[in-house]
Amino acid sequence: MVKIAIYPPNSLILADLLERKGHTPLVLQKQIRQKIKDPEIDSPPMNITEEDPIKGLKYAAIEVPSGVRGRMAIIGPLIDEAEAAILVDGAPYGFGCIGCARTNELSIFLLRNKGIPVLELTYPTNQDETYVMVNEINEFVDSLEETAGEE
Amino acid sequence: MSPNLTMSPDLGKEDWDPDVITRMIFIGPGAHVSEQEIVSEFHMLGLPLTIKNTCYGSMISGKSEDVYKAIEEIRKLDPSHIFTKERGFAPGDPRRCRGHRFGPREGFHQMEKEYRILGFVSEALDNPKEVELEEKKPIEVDEFKKIMNECLENKE
Repeated sequence: MVKIAIYPPNSLILADLLERKGHTPLVLQKQIRQKIKDPEIDSPPMNITEEDPIKGLKYAAIEVPSGVRGRMAIIGPLIDEAEAAILVDGAPYGFGCIGCARTNELSIFLLRNKGIPVLELTYPTNQDETYVMVNEINEFVDSLEETAGEE
Repeated sequence: MSPNLTMSPDLGKEDWDPDVITRMIFIGPGAHVSEQEIVSEFHMLGLPLTIKNTCYGSMISGKSEDVYKAIEEIRKLDPSHIFTKERGFAPGDPRRCRGHRFGPREGFHQMEKEYRILGFVSEALDNPKEVELEEKKPIEVDEFKKIMNECLENKE
């Protein structure tokens, strides 16, 4: 079982395809759940606390806006945990949950630079492109299984 | 307070339990089961779960062990058309529930986008096959020149 980071990190299709193959998709919802169930947060609707931009410093410099650092405090641990990654590019506007183009760029940059196997896909718009996407994901996941088996 | 702002929720014991998880179950286009059938099936499993019927399928919440067991069973009904994903907030949580705020909840737009290609994904899972895509190439310079000259001549 390989821990695979997905981008966008809340994608239904990517997470489901990976779970079907028995792998763990690193989804943002799990991080959010941890956050909202944390009894140390006094005001539960406030998902971002003053601690988060400080945690985000691990991933982004101090000059980077606090919004990016706050987001990285949640997404960063997923990137740290990742053993492989699947990134979807060229998605329509509004696809993904981050709501910040710079955080998206930084997260994708960190995943590419981590030295883990990365599969980059284009968002499908028709039947044939979806076939290609599903096939590529399945082949990628199978290749990860083979590598894990060799080790 | 504007109704669009989230309120401090009165959370129960289960809401604070880190082992309690929530999963959303989506029924893709062309599925052979309905939302109601899925909900009935969940009830028939007899597991201690909170089950909610929704427009896209259903939502279940409970101990992670029970939830994963229920999902495994429910997928058997229509493996290629039933999709599931995690959800951070419990069903009916006032911070996300549509009943307490205006407009669709956060996350709905992503669901809407993915639902459009969900039918294609089901088809690809049902009948896997190799497909070659034709790569888009820029037009040849000579061809471009020809079209340009034609346009200019027609203009005159």
